[in-house]
Amino acid sequence: MLKNKNILLLALVVMFLVFSLFGCAPPAAPPADDDAAAEEPAAEFKGEKLLGIMIPTTGAQATDGIDMKNAALLAVEEINAAGGVLGYKIITTIGDDGCDPSMATAAASKLIAEEVFGVVGGFCSGATLPTLKLYGDAGTPFVIAASNATTLIAENPGWAFMINSTGDAQAAKAVSSFENLGVETISLVDDGSAFSVDLKDQTKAAWEAAGYAVLSEDRIDPGTVDFSAVVTRIMSANPDGVYWTAYQGPGAKLIMQLRQSGYEGVIIVGDGSSAQELIDLAGPDAEGVYCTAPPVVDFLPAAQDFISSYKAMFPRDPGAYAGLMYDATYLLMDAVERAGSFDGEAVKAALAATDAFEKLTGPIFFTPQNTLGRSNFVLLVAQDGKWTLAE
Amino acid sequence: MTLWEIFLQQLFNGLLIGSFYGLVAIGYSMVYGIIKLLNFAHADIYMGGAFVGLIALSFFADSAIGNAWLGIVLSLLISMFLIGILGVLIQRVAYRPMLKAPRLSILITALAVSMLLYNTVMLLTHGQFRPFRTGLTHDSFFVGALRLTETRVVLLVAAILLMFILHQFVTRSMYGKAMRAISLDRDTCQLMGINVYKIVAITFFVGSALAAAAGVMAGVFYGTVHFYMGFFIGLKAFTAAVIGGIGILPGAMLGGLLLGLLESFATQIPFIGSVWQNVFSFVFLILFLIFKPTGILGRAESERM
Repeated sequence: MLKNKNILLLALVVMFLVFSLFGCAPPAAPPADDDAAAEEPAAEFKGEKLLGIMIPTTGAQATDGIDMKNAALLAVEEINAAGGVLGYKIITTIGDDGCDPSMATAAASKLIAEEVFGVVGGFCSGATLPTLKLYGDAGTPFVIAASNATTLIAENPGWAFMINSTGDAQAAKAVSSFENLGVETISLVDDGSAFSVDLKDQTKAAWEAAGYAVLSEDRIDPGTVDFSAVVTRIMSANPDGVYWTAYQGPGAKLIMQLRQSGYEGVIIVGDGSSAQELIDLAGPDAEGVYCTAPPVVDFLPAAQDFISSYKAMFPRDPGAYAGLMYDATYLLMDAVERAGSFDGEAVKAALAATDAFEKLTGPIFFTPQNTLGRSNFVLLVAQDGKWTLAE
Repeated sequence: MTLWEIFLQQLFNGLLIGSFYGLVAIGYSMVYGIIKLLNFAHADIYMGGAFVGLIALSFFADSAIGNAWLGIVLSLLISMFLIGILGVLIQRVAYRPMLKAPRLSILITALAVSMLLYNTVMLLTHGQFRPFRTGLTHDSFFVGALRLTETRVVLLVAAILLMFILHQFVTRSMYGKAMRAISLDRDTCQLMGINVYKIVAITFFVGSALAAAAGVMAGVFYGTVHFYMGFFIGLKAFTAAVIGGIGILPGAMLGGLLLGLLESFATQIPFIGSVWQNVFSFVFLILFLIFKPTGILGRAESERM
């Protein structure tokens, strides 16, 4: 009896599969239709393909996350208006990683379960890290727009592509900037997150290799309510420069407390603090603070059209990472076009073969480790309540 | 800076943050003392206090009183009053119906209130940091080797003043007496004609108002507020309350000061520094509790029959 039942079940499943293959597959378009479609490119799509966007839309990094989400949505809208990708309309789904490893894991699993053909995003390196294996196992290509800790490289099974320069490129920029500002001794401050500790370690190594001294290393982890103890310690070390390697919320507090304690040296913040929010929060104390930043669209001549379409679509400024996210989205679509299919393996190969793809943030090509083949960092300075290019 | 200057500076830093911990710890301790509840929502009440203070301050911003201490003091009082009422409401809606239920059930409602509060603020603020502009200048001056700002001195004095007023209230007033009586034996108090619910409500009002005061003061001092700002100070204040002997108010103040000083000095110790600061202070506190489980001022309680 049991066996019969199993066979019956199997037969049902087979019948269902056969039926779904023949019954539901879209009828092959007759070749004659192609000419008509060519005359009206945006009129008809062959179907829809789902693109995953993984960014923090809640939590302390939500500002940057929402900027990035908007940039991706803008890119997708433009792509669809121009006829989609391989004749398919691109639709999007959001995974909120909350800048938190456990939330990110859940977000990645959700995107994979929804069968996205690829994912763009990735802001906090600590949150991006555990998702690399998930996307690798699922065979989902992942273009990482912002996350850039070097720790990501070792954990990447080959399916993720980083279009932002890694931490060591930023550390080199920080060292040369301190040198140009006449600084000889520095203090480093991180917040314990993967990204900021990585940047701090890289900067320390590069700074000491250049023959200078690091006077103190401090941490303001999220459990630190009060910064004055750390500030007093920095003041007692009395360095020429301070480098804050983490995000803008605590960064603003650190800057305010340093200045209020009478610190007059050079303060540089890392790219995690490059949002306008840092200046808004720290107010007058932010004046003269420097920032090693990713290519911010405001300073890119190629990005002026992007900025005006972004502002037309969303009631806010694009922020520091929108340009990278816009490029990430276009790059993934370009790879799909070059691969000629949405198949994961083919798209991955096409991404790896990317040769000087250029949109807003400069040419993109990859090292064998799937990191950006060049440094894209710039030095900004806060002047009159705004970031401006320092060079 | 010489070693002596560093010592003085860190001592002052520790006292200031310790008095913030103390103000929040008092709320935990009061509520635990009177209804044996760990009020998880207390940290979020602190956060709420900071935001109410910010809103109140923004109303004064354009007027003459907006840019000085008068505006801040008014905002502080408004925030204390409104958040005190919020505390009473929370108590009425979420805790009072559960007073006869098993202890764990009321813990869950406390957790629910906490999440409700911080998620609401997260949605309203889009999860962003908000600047807390006071218009105060931060010109510093020296007292001996100690570098101080007006803000720091005023805040420390205010925190100590609030604790002193509370101490007087609890030890001298009729309500304070009733509170202490209820924490000893609720049922007998009821039999003696004390309106227990009313006293519990007053306890929540006072505890929440103090947390709100600490929240506004933190906003003034640090210059930014955030929906998650209560979480860690809540954990630390709770620790302070336990260290001091939970349910004992002077203990909560002492516990707060001890934790603040520990953190501040740990930052300066070589090889511990700010990276190991939390590990250091909590290892110390665990060791302390092993040798004195009832906390600084706690006495071993004998089982009453």
